[in-house]
Amino acid sequence: MTSYGADLLVILPELIVVGAACLLLVLEPLTPPSRKELLAWLSLGALALCIGLTGGQISVLNLRVSAFSDLVVVDGYARFWKLLLYGVTGLTILMSLPYLKAERLQLGEYYGFILLALSGMMVMVSGADLLTIYLGTELMSLSLYVMAGLKRSSPRSLEASAKYFVLGAFSSGLLLYGISLLYGVAGGTKLGAVAAAIGSRGFDDPLLLIATILLAAGFGFKLAVVPFHMWTPDVYQGAPTSVTAFMAVASKAASFAAFLRVFVEGLGGLKADWSNLFLLLCLVTLILGNLVAIVQTNIKRMLAYSSIAHAGYALIGLVAAGRGMGESGGASGLASVMLYLALYAFMTLGAFAVIGMFRKGGLEGEDIEDFAGLAKRQPLAAFLMLVFMVSLAGIPPTAGFIGKFYVFMAAVEAGLAWLAVVALIFAAISAYYYMRVVMVMYMREPDPSAGEVPQLVASPALTVVLACAVAGVILFGLFPNPLVSLALQSVLPLK
Amino acid sequence: MEQLFFFYFAAVIAVASVLVVALRNPIYSALSLLIMFFHVAGLYVSLRAEFLAAVQVIVYAGAILVLYLFVVMLLNLKQDDRYHRQWPVAGVVGLTLAVEAVMLTLLKGRAIPPAPANTNETVEGLGNTEALGDALYSTYLFPFEVASLILLVAMIGAIILAKKDIGGSEA
Amino acid sequence: MTDLLIKLIPVFPLLAVIANGLFGRYLWSHDWAHRLAWGSVGLSFLCTIGVVADVLRTGTAHEVIAYQWIFGGDLTINLAYLVDPLTCVWLLVVTGVGFLIHVYSVGYMHGEDGFTRFFTYMNLFMVSMLLLVMGNNYAVLFIGWEGVGLCSYLLIGYYYDKVSAAKAASKAFVVNRIGDAGFLLAIFLVFINFKTLDYTKVFAQVGQLSPDMATAIALCLLVGAVGKSAQLPLHTWLPDAMEGPTPVSALIHAATMVTAGVYMVVRNHAIFDLSPVAMETVAIVGGCTALFAATIGLVQTDIKRVLAYSTVSQLGYMFLGCGIGAYTAAVFHVMTHAFFKALLFLSAGSVIHALSGEQDIRKMGGLSKKIPWTYRLFLIGTVAIAGIPPLAGFWSKDEIMGHAFVHHHYVFYGLAALGAFLTSFYMFRLTYLTFYGPSRMDHHTEEHVHESPMVMVGPLMALGLLSLVGGFLGFPPEHGWLHQFLAPVAGVGGEHEVGTGLVLTLMMIATGIALLGWGLAHYLYSMNPAAPDRWAAKAQGIYNTLLNKYYVDELYDVLVVEPTKKLGLALDWFDRVVIDGIVRAVGTMAELGAAGSTWAEKHVIYGGLNIIGYGNHLLAKQWRQLQSGMVHHYAAIIIAGLFLLAVVIQLIVQR
Repeated sequence: MTSYGADLLVILPELIVVGAACLLLVLEPLTPPSRKELLAWLSLGALALCIGLTGGQISVLNLRVSAFSDLVVVDGYARFWKLLLYGVTGLTILMSLPYLKAERLQLGEYYGFILLALSGMMVMVSGADLLTIYLGTELMSLSLYVMAGLKRSSPRSLEASAKYFVLGAFSSGLLLYGISLLYGVAGGTKLGAVAAAIGSRGFDDPLLLIATILLAAGFGFKLAVVPFHMWTPDVYQGAPTSVTAFMAVASKAASFAAFLRVFVEGLGGLKADWSNLFLLLCLVTLILGNLVAIVQTNIKRMLAYSSIAHAGYALIGLVAAGRGMGESGGASGLASVMLYLALYAFMTLGAFAVIGMFRKGGLEGEDIEDFAGLAKRQPLAAFLMLVFMVSLAGIPPTAGFIGKFYVFMAAVEAGLAWLAVVALIFAAISAYYYMRVVMVMYMREPDPSAGEVPQLVASPALTVVLACAVAGVILFGLFPNPLVSLALQSVLPLK
Repeated sequence: MEQLFFFYFAAVIAVASVLVVALRNPIYSALSLLIMFFHVAGLYVSLRAEFLAAVQVIVYAGAILVLYLFVVMLLNLKQDDRYHRQWPVAGVVGLTLAVEAVMLTLLKGRAIPPAPANTNETVEGLGNTEALGDALYSTYLFPFEVASLILLVAMIGAIILAKKDIGGSEA
Repeated sequence: MTDLLIKLIPVFPLLAVIANGLFGRYLWSHDWAHRLAWGSVGLSFLCTIGVVADVLRTGTAHEVIAYQWIFGGDLTINLAYLVDPLTCVWLLVVTGVGFLIHVYSVGYMHGEDGFTRFFTYMNLFMVSMLLLVMGNNYAVLFIGWEGVGLCSYLLIGYYYDKVSAAKAASKAFVVNRIGDAGFLLAIFLVFINFKTLDYTKVFAQVGQLSPDMATAIALCLLVGAVGKSAQLPLHTWLPDAMEGPTPVSALIHAATMVTAGVYMVVRNHAIFDLSPVAMETVAIVGGCTALFAATIGLVQTDIKRVLAYSTVSQLGYMFLGCGIGAYTAAVFHVMTHAFFKALLFLSAGSVIHALSGEQDIRKMGGLSKKIPWTYRLFLIGTVAIAGIPPLAGFWSKDEIMGHAFVHHHYVFYGLAALGAFLTSFYMFRLTYLTFYGPSRMDHHTEEHVHESPMVMVGPLMALGLLSLVGGFLGFPPEHGWLHQFLAPVAGVGGEHEVGTGLVLTLMMIATGIALLGWGLAHYLYSMNPAAPDRWAAKAQGIYNTLLNKYYVDELYDVLVVEPTKKLGLALDWFDRVVIDGIVRAVGTMAELGAAGSTWAEKHVIYGGLNIIGYGNHLLAKQWRQLQSGMVHHYAAIIIAGLFLLAVVIQLIVQR
């Protein structure tokens, strides 16, 4: 009889989150409809506990503990992502409070699913074994499929859920296929075993090549990288906005975390080869994401393409890491990806928070045109949106600039100056569609025939979310050092 | 001899899977799925995983497939023409992928993968079921629990999405 | 002490931005908003004087680190300031002229909607501009660079309910982004070559640069400068930027922001000096712009647009000066230009104010009696820009032209001389049409003509005084006080010892040219008012070309704007339709091939129906929802992507 006490201690945050989720699901039927918000506060409490637990370990950031026969590992890298994910989840829950009320979706289960998805993400970032990572991904995705379809009154939402589910299952199949091939090559699913088996064999083994491509496709789907991006606009547009925000930020961050870990810790020996592969993906993603975003008229769809483009920028960091030379070669590239996603979280959450509570009568104002004249009606709301758009466009002194700056810098250091230049050009193009929102807000009058004018419906919870987001965008834009050093310290070693 | 069985099972599995998607009558599709399940179980047997084979037959071929058939019959689905133009696409893409795979294997010398760590001795010492249980509840306890969570999510998710009245009325 | 003063300079306007921006609308009245705004700029000006006095006394540059912004890898970027004589000149101009314009705005913007917003933007502009000129490295310069761009965008679009204003604002933004891309590229190149972005470190090692690299960097910098300073071929945004309120035009689009390009070139003169090609390009851009914009200025009828084109033209002179190595002269011209152009714009604003918003000079005339102070001051500005001694414009422009002549750049000298003639002509044309002759105003406007209040005329007088005597800062030519002050940063201009006789001759020629322009304007618009129309009718083609600004805007629309939009649309369409269509087409084709049995026939018909239906769905907006098959196509695209990846990777791996 083995005792798992020490192991359980390692995964205590996961246990808390799952426990809270189960508690929520049990309490849900017992709570009267008017009191459902209590459930949200309960989940926030659980998150606070987790933040305390993981945040308390920040002094021993890089202490590596593993549990359950090395299938789970908690190191600096995992702690970094977990802290980010707690924050994002907390803000999403806060954002959902007024949103669900406005949409009349008073579902206790919603918060349960958010927590379950979070637990899946935590497993993903902590997984040191392909199997664990895969299961974490599935746990996250399955929760998201359900959440995307929660707005059952809207056919779009149901369609989004169904589409996401079918395609997600399909991509999981690819991922699993890649994993099984890798298992065949390496004789084990632990990342360490895979790395040892690969040694420095390169793509001489066709199985390895196919496995790598399949893994790239499987993760590429979750990251919304072209050509695996097709689901993104439909699903982002159809899903309830708070869920979209959660998908765009948390799911993307967790997938990137697992993705980096698999490719760095497991397939690090192939870095010269996969960096070429991702270079290609990164280029097509930048091109397609940025150019297609220009012509969108629905703001959620526009942000979907923008999120595709942002995945492209983040990939630059990974390419740079693969090409990195010398002792610390890859470190700055990987750290730049981590930084990019952390900073991206603030601006995207902020933008979606504004969109979610931007209402025309009872409905969401989703068209970019709905923002016309917002600056006159609600200058503060327009200003916040301006800050988020400016940051997404990567204009200093916002967080978005810092993120892009480090990614591009990593590319230049890795000898990929031309890639940085190309990305820069696309960043300049992206300013066009972000600034269009600003222009509509500040320089256009609403169409007088449109009837009811959309308004941002304020509420205390929303205020907190927006305040956090805007503070993050501006403070990290001005004082990025703490976050940068955190990312640099917790980065994975890439041989 | 083992090789011969492997090729038999593998070929039937491949053909049956194609038939599942290609056949127009849903009942036939379900039945080819059944054939596929049985042959997968056969593969397990040839790999000396008798317990898994049994589970495969009982759970998949027994429970899940019967459920499918019930649904199909309850909904009275006849030949469904809506997806008829899918299979040529799948054919073209699949064929190219197959060619690609063959090319890969032919073009380069195939490195021999190292034997998986879990060799047969351990299994024989313990017996199939016991070895599986041991692995599941010790080494792979964590993924096992995560998998249980996945099932929980799937179950509750299905209930929520299918539930008739949701929120709405009282808010 | 000086370090503290330096740090304080941008802080005052920043505090005003925060206070006015966050609370201005709610907590205090307009009076306090404007007091905060101009007060903060005034305080910055006082600090600047303190700092400049110190630099003058000690003769050393100050480098102050405010805080560390970005670090990691090879790179550290500080928010740090470098105050040397070059920065001092710009600081004085920016805070001094900026202060006067702020005070003027109090009167001009009185009673406008969004009064507080206006001053918030103006102060934000001051902060950005100060960062731009004070930064000790390229990153801070770039932040200021982007900041002034943003403020310019916001201020041009200040009257955002006007469609033309909104359009002009986005045009300015987009055109500036093109320049910014060049500038960023230059920063990258600098970093790759020097592993640092600090000016002092870069310029210390500049000798190691290969000539080709120096040319590349210099040309990229030039692209940035051309965008911000509205030189050919990126000049189109500046005249449109006149949609903003007049004080904005004065501050941003005449006196300060647009000279940022000149600042950048002078700041980087060490790099430009290494590359004769780049220098030549700068000079060509400058010379051509000077002449090109002047010709357009000849026929414009909007008072502010004439001034806008004259700004573009004068900026051309500054670039020309930089390009032929006359950096001090270029800086000198920046300074005098700031004085007289601010004066001209603000006086024009006073005219517009007096005429209740009328900007068309064809509907003015005879105003000299009605608004005498504005008239006198405008006249001072005109004489100054026309280059008639001893006013400010003469000294600086003559120095650039003289430098061109002495250093054997006769072509540039010719361009500049012709430009000077045209400048003098169209400026006096403007003056005559506005202030002399019979009144062409409608009755209603005429009744309301009034001199502007003291709060507007006061700053005008200060600027008028500066335009009168500002030129003597650079007197005697080539050896003035300014030249000695700038000598450590801009290099000494006059290696050639030039005979006094030649200098005097050149001066006389320049004066003659200016007087000739005046004379022609006098003949055409005062003595013989029917002549201009006759001339225009005779040269209809030229006249229309000039009136339409050589059709450059239209050209860009056709060449750049439309294709970009179409490309975006095309890709969207490609993403949604073509890829999907290919998948469908493959399916349909395979199916046709498989025809033979009875149900295949049915499928063909069905397929045909489906295609018709598909077309309908394309038309209907919800076609996507009706396509349940879509998901399968998405999956097929994923597979196709996989396939492509495999092929490409194989190619790469096999090499």
